[in-house]
Amino acid sequence: MKKTYIIAISLLLVSCNDIELIPATSSTIIEKIKSYKGEKAVLLNIWALWCVPCVEEFPMLVEFQKNNTNLEVVFVSADFQDEFENVKSFLVKQGLKSNSYIKNEKDDIFINGINQQWSGSLPFIIIFSKNKGIVVDSWEGKELKSRFELAIDIALSS
Amino acid sequence: MYNILRILPFLSLIFCLELEIGSIMPKNNVGLKTINGDFINLSSVRGEKGTLIIFSCNTCPWVIKWEDRYLDIAKKYIPKGVNMIAINSNVAKFSGDDSLIKMKEHAKKMNYNFTYAQDPNAEIANAFGATKTPHVFLFNQNNSLVYKGAIDDNARDAKNVDEEYLANALDALLENRKIEKESTKALGCSIKFN
Repeated sequence: MKKTYIIAISLLLVSCNDIELIPATSSTIIEKIKSYKGEKAVLLNIWALWCVPCVEEFPMLVEFQKNNTNLEVVFVSADFQDEFENVKSFLVKQGLKSNSYIKNEKDDIFINGINQQWSGSLPFIIIFSKNKGIVVDSWEGKELKSRFELAIDIALSS
Repeated sequence: MYNILRILPFLSLIFCLELEIGSIMPKNNVGLKTINGDFINLSSVRGEKGTLIIFSCNTCPWVIKWEDRYLDIAKKYIPKGVNMIAINSNVAKFSGDDSLIKMKEHAKKMNYNFTYAQDPNAEIANAFGATKTPHVFLFNQNNSLVYKGAIDDNARDAKNVDEEYLANALDALLENRKIEKESTKALGCSIKFN
């Protein structure tokens, strides 16, 4: 009986933690971001498992998501498709609750489709305002928490 | 207006400006330290038909994936008069994974057949607007930029490349043809400036 309970609880925990990792093109991502206009500010984070600064700042971004109900953090993995299961495991370990994306497009098309100014360097961040859906700030590489906080603050109020 | 003023201090940090096609090679007298301990500059590596510069490093997974093509490109085009140099501008890692000793070990292990050198203050990377590794810049015999961006469209598998961006640009340069794609993009590791 005790064993049955343990199995049932384990299964429940697994299902609670199971998030969907969706293969996506740049246009899918952009459409998703546009869908939040008027409802939520959006922080788009393009990251990869092999990118050390991306992995380092990941928990901070998850916290931003948890602490701001008016902010949607859209995570897009730039890992190869054969890293699919490893990416999914990482997301579960990070305690991510919402669905996440994995790049499914050639680099050149994907990078320009997301943002013409982006060179392709990771991590890449863009923050969109809540009401107007316009870009408040964007950057490549690791950044200070204060820059994130300031941009999110502005995005939530504009 | 208040919001704009609050974000202003960061605006200059948004993106480095990448060198425009047609630009003359900048900072070609700035010193670079090769893995053999020699001091050189970009003028001294200039090729008779052109000069290929790849911003690179020892550990970036994207560099590791593309590195086999570094060798093929060097083997094919250096004898044709296009000289090649890989520049490491990861200043923040010069006391670790990208030290001169480790660069030398890496070059030996990978059988580098081209110059590999450190950009001591990342002055060259900054002047080029290089942001990642690998990041390619190809100059013609007049030192004018004719191609920038990626090596090809498949980092993972050289056998399944659809477009050999860099090789196509090199062939066009050597045959005095117009380069169809002068600028491309690919994912890469950010250069660790500090």
